[in-house]
Amino acid sequence: MNSKKTETEKKSFLSILKLIPALKGKYTDKPLFKDKADKANYILKTVGIPNLDAADKKVVTHKKRTPATAN
Amino acid sequence: MLDNHYEVNTSPDLLTFEFISTGPKGHITKIVRYTELNVKGFYNLGFGDKDPITGYISDRAITTNNNSKKVLATVASTLYAFTANYAEATIIATGCAETRTRLYRIGISNYLMDIQKDFVVFGLQKPFGSHLEKTPFIMLLW
Repeated sequence: MNSKKTETEKKSFLSILKLIPALKGKYTDKPLFKDKADKANYILKTVGIPNLDAADKKVVTHKKRTPATAN
Repeated sequence: MLDNHYEVNTSPDLLTFEFISTGPKGHITKIVRYTELNVKGFYNLGFGDKDPITGYISDRAITTNNNSKKVLATVASTLYAFTANYAEATIIATGCAETRTRLYRIGISNYLMDIQKDFVVFGLQKPFGSHLEKTPFIMLLW
């Protein structure tokens, strides 16, 4: 499911930002938030990906799968 | 929710954002970085402070500048900007500690109705058999 924002509204978010080309390489020598990314990868690996098709614009609690119920 | 936020600088690929928070503790440079994970299309939202002396960027720094709402609103604005360019992305966000996760969860809960107009929000609970406190809160946005 895509964002509900229209193209005009999406562009308005981009227009309030200041584009700084130097920012792209500014922190390349620093692995920013690596432990967070590792943690997120671990979560995806153990919990899995939620059923996004079943989501209907409401909060869904994705309970950790046990081996018996995992797909 | 996004009415009051700091001005944000962004890299052309809209993966790195930088803004300056101001308050009693002075000017603090804050960095937001979206990092693609091992699953294509999934990104981690990282957010932290840049030490003005060492340049080190940490998500564990505590700089109480009396502006947490404005800071979170600014981070939220980067999320909208990021997903405007990466419309199919799913984002995972956690705090570096339970207290920080709880702060983020409160911020999201306060604006959940607005957020849900644009995103599908998931959370993660501990499985049955343990305390059902939400830890570490994981939110997948789409």
